[in-house]
Amino acid sequence: MRRTLVALLALAALPAAADEVRVISPRPDAVSITVYRDLFALVTETRTVDLPAGPVTLVFDGVVDTLIPQSAAIADAGREVAESNYDFERLTPANILKKSIGKSVTLMRTNPATGRVRQVAATLIAANNDGVVFATEDGNEALRCSGLPEQLTFDELPDDLKTEPTLSIRLAAGSPGKRQVRVSYIAHGFAWSADYVGKLDAAGTRMDLHGWLTLQNLTGSTFRDAQVQVVAGRLNLLDADEYNGTSLVGDTAQYSTDDSLDEARTYALEDMQDELEDEPDDVEYFAGCYPYGPGSVRREAMAIVDSIHAEDIGKFPDSSGEELEEVIVTGFRGSMAVRENLADYQLYRLPVHTDLNARQTKQVAFLHKPEVKVERFYSVRLASDEEFVDDLEGVIPLSIKIGWRNRVADGLGEPLPSGLVRLFEESAASSLFAGEDRIKDSPVDTPIELRLGTALDVGLSIDNKDEEPALTPLALLTRRVYLPLHLRASNAKARPVTVEIRQGPIEELEDMRVKGASLPTQRKFGDYMWRLTVPANGEATLSYKVGGKAPSDD
Amino acid sequence: MNKKIAWLAGLCSVGVLAAGSGEDKQVSLTIYNKNLALVEHVRPLALPAGQQRVEFPGVSALILPQTVSFSATNLELIEQNFDYDLLTPTKLMEKAVGGKVRVVRTNPATGAETSEVAEVLSTTGGTVLKIGSRIEVLRDDNLPARVIFDKVPDNLRARPTLSVLVNAAQPINEDVRLTYLTRGLSWDADYVALFEEAKGALSMQGWITLANTSGTSFTNARAQLVAGDLNISNSDDGWYEQAQARARRSTGTENGPQNGSQQRIADYYLYPLKLPTTIANNQTKQVSFLDAANVKASKGYEVTFVGFQSSDEPEAAQVRVRFSNSNAGGLGAQLPAGVVRVYARDSKGQPQFIGEDHIGHTSAGSDIALRIGDAFDVTVTPTLVQTTKVNKRSTDYQMSYLLRNARDAGVTLTLRQIGLWRVNEVRAESIKGRRTDADSFAWDVSVPANGEATLTFTLRQGW
Repeated sequence: MRRTLVALLALAALPAAADEVRVISPRPDAVSITVYRDLFALVTETRTVDLPAGPVTLVFDGVVDTLIPQSAAIADAGREVAESNYDFERLTPANILKKSIGKSVTLMRTNPATGRVRQVAATLIAANNDGVVFATEDGNEALRCSGLPEQLTFDELPDDLKTEPTLSIRLAAGSPGKRQVRVSYIAHGFAWSADYVGKLDAAGTRMDLHGWLTLQNLTGSTFRDAQVQVVAGRLNLLDADEYNGTSLVGDTAQYSTDDSLDEARTYALEDMQDELEDEPDDVEYFAGCYPYGPGSVRREAMAIVDSIHAEDIGKFPDSSGEELEEVIVTGFRGSMAVRENLADYQLYRLPVHTDLNARQTKQVAFLHKPEVKVERFYSVRLASDEEFVDDLEGVIPLSIKIGWRNRVADGLGEPLPSGLVRLFEESAASSLFAGEDRIKDSPVDTPIELRLGTALDVGLSIDNKDEEPALTPLALLTRRVYLPLHLRASNAKARPVTVEIRQGPIEELEDMRVKGASLPTQRKFGDYMWRLTVPANGEATLSYKVGGKAPSDD
Repeated sequence: MNKKIAWLAGLCSVGVLAAGSGEDKQVSLTIYNKNLALVEHVRPLALPAGQQRVEFPGVSALILPQTVSFSATNLELIEQNFDYDLLTPTKLMEKAVGGKVRVVRTNPATGAETSEVAEVLSTTGGTVLKIGSRIEVLRDDNLPARVIFDKVPDNLRARPTLSVLVNAAQPINEDVRLTYLTRGLSWDADYVALFEEAKGALSMQGWITLANTSGTSFTNARAQLVAGDLNISNSDDGWYEQAQARARRSTGTENGPQNGSQQRIADYYLYPLKLPTTIANNQTKQVSFLDAANVKASKGYEVTFVGFQSSDEPEAAQVRVRFSNSNAGGLGAQLPAGVVRVYARDSKGQPQFIGEDHIGHTSAGSDIALRIGDAFDVTVTPTLVQTTKVNKRSTDYQMSYLLRNARDAGVTLTLRQIGLWRVNEVRAESIKGRRTDADSFAWDVSVPANGEATLTFTLRQGW
């Protein structure tokens, strides 16, 4: 008797746990979204809740379904947080079936001849990826294996299936009353990038530079009146699978260059977009049957998911809600994002609260510098690691470059987040696309050079291609050889141009040195460098000797 | 007694009668880091005397059946089975081979139903039936035909079920204990750290994150968590996981000697959860285990170069946040392995995410350095000014590093030159550096606010 009582008490504990006081917060009062370049955002919601004095479970409806549960945090609750739960078993046809195992369902059979619908009480015995088995008073049968129109209807939705993901937090007892709490979490499916448009004046000495933030919300969540900001900088992030970290492209520390990380992000973004467009996995679930005659058509069995009675269970988010909305580009021309320092990164805050809709792309200006002093020049680097050096026939190609120093004195002096710079040349009559290049994250005072393309009217040739190094007795003794170079730059343009020639390391010459240059020698990024002014429709020459020790065999 | 048993009894009414255990009186979970948990169910069981089968529905679907142990005072265990042959239409038909089913046909013109008894001969490539004296392939005419099975074989189940064959010397009514290891339950520590640079302080919350993908929900379970990397020899991916564990330990943490406050079992730490908790299938649950404010913390900038070369592009310095979990420094608790997500406040006072790092199982008294990310505004541009070969075996490398700081405050940047050859020495340096180990040197360089500094040195290395 006593034992029974204990057992009953144990059972009674179950409903008690379920009856625990739950306070549901249907939506946030205000939301702030901070978008990072690594395909995620930090969402911070402010919600008002009315707390009872006792322990309570706060349920936050309408959170972004891509959230990383481990990142969820609550602040200003004024109470000890006992635990936090993230439940998300989607309301899908497959999940309804799985959760209804052992429950009563109603089978609707339509007589193909009379069209009469017969309702049969049934119990669901099994439902999995390989099919559905149910029992009626007749016996046990497999669903939709008979070739007759059959569908299951459910009396009620299983409790734990949700149309929306739910974050809930269990709080200890405390003082009752209305409180504003702050809930924050990291969610995947957001991205941003910087894009620049530079307009060069006719002389090529001034640039009007515009910077744009392009924000993407790939999730199905819409944010109304949100405060939006983006963070520029390279964060240390851990692989999502291996460490339950935040990064979808592996540990960010394993990428040695920003370019390789950018590339990986681009692929991950494309994958994410593809996934959104894909059919949900559920569609072919519950389609299995035992084998029957080859003459019969299996297609009808595959269609089972459509046949679940929809009226009783509301919408299926997976089968109807996943269509990609059109991408909307919204410009905030005229009002710019405001920059501030966040730890060691740059943070850009949108000036006004804005709606960020599901699957939306949005552009906001963050930079406008009308008078940036730039230099247009032509450049070539002679070094073993440059591809063309192996084949120095004819005219050596020169790169068209636009360079500037990111400082206030030169009309800029703003941090530039990495991104693509597109340059246009302005003339009286029209505007011409001049080329594009990527820049890295560039703090103030950094020199920046963009390569726009290969010059057609300006070239460089070597006058003494076949000359051998002079093998003097001294050279033989010291194994130090010098190769004389006579270079000739030509300019077919109607205005003078600047040509920059850089001499980088040559593998065959150890301890490389340069001497006897016909122009003053400078150093640039470790290279030797000369600058030539080539007159309009004219030529200029440079000669120097590059030498070093021939590598010894040992 | 309860619905479940009634239901099971209903299911098995045509087959062999098997007794079912009651609902869990108590479930205890001991969860390890590596996707492994020890589950203990205590369930009431009432049995008549004699040999019989007892079923335990609702065990983990990812149970390791060879680890099951069953204890009851007055029962003799004869054999135990873990039946999880999934009930599907195909299996149902396969198991009916040699047996009888009923085939109900509907006349497409009149809608009239006719029922016949059929023997299932084969299911390979199509279901072959023998009805009376004729043999036919099911629905080869593409006309509707329902197949009705009188019984579902006992070993086909919708849910994982453990069954034991026992011999009871006398009728019993007692609580039995069922324990087993299972996959699908795991835990990790997750930390949320708010770094307040101006105060030189870190506030840190630790969460145990439980994930349940075992296919079963555990209701009101007493859970305890074990920190430490267990060697699991029958694990398929054992060597890989161990390698991972070693790799995890090698992040910038130096384990210290102090004792923290947690209970220990053998060489592991045990974290019991205070309250019974329900861990639903496919749920991620977090339980707070650490809340510390005002832990002393500092920020440092670091940049590391391997080899000597020039670069056109500045290299960003790495930001590290250092703190200690000694009793004096603030935390004073050992930290189970996990991800630390670091936040800093923006100008409006709102915490923003600034980076994350992983820490291994860290004993109390350890110094921890978290990698946060790259500093946007602190960069280093390396220039190899000149190389000079001294003799066959050694060369002098003359380096010049340009350090830029676009921040409004001065910074100290630690520049490391690592991976040197066996013989190495600094021949000249613009500021005094230090040898950090056999093949590396480090220099601490102050860079003024919105300014730059240059570090030059000549390093001879050879073999």
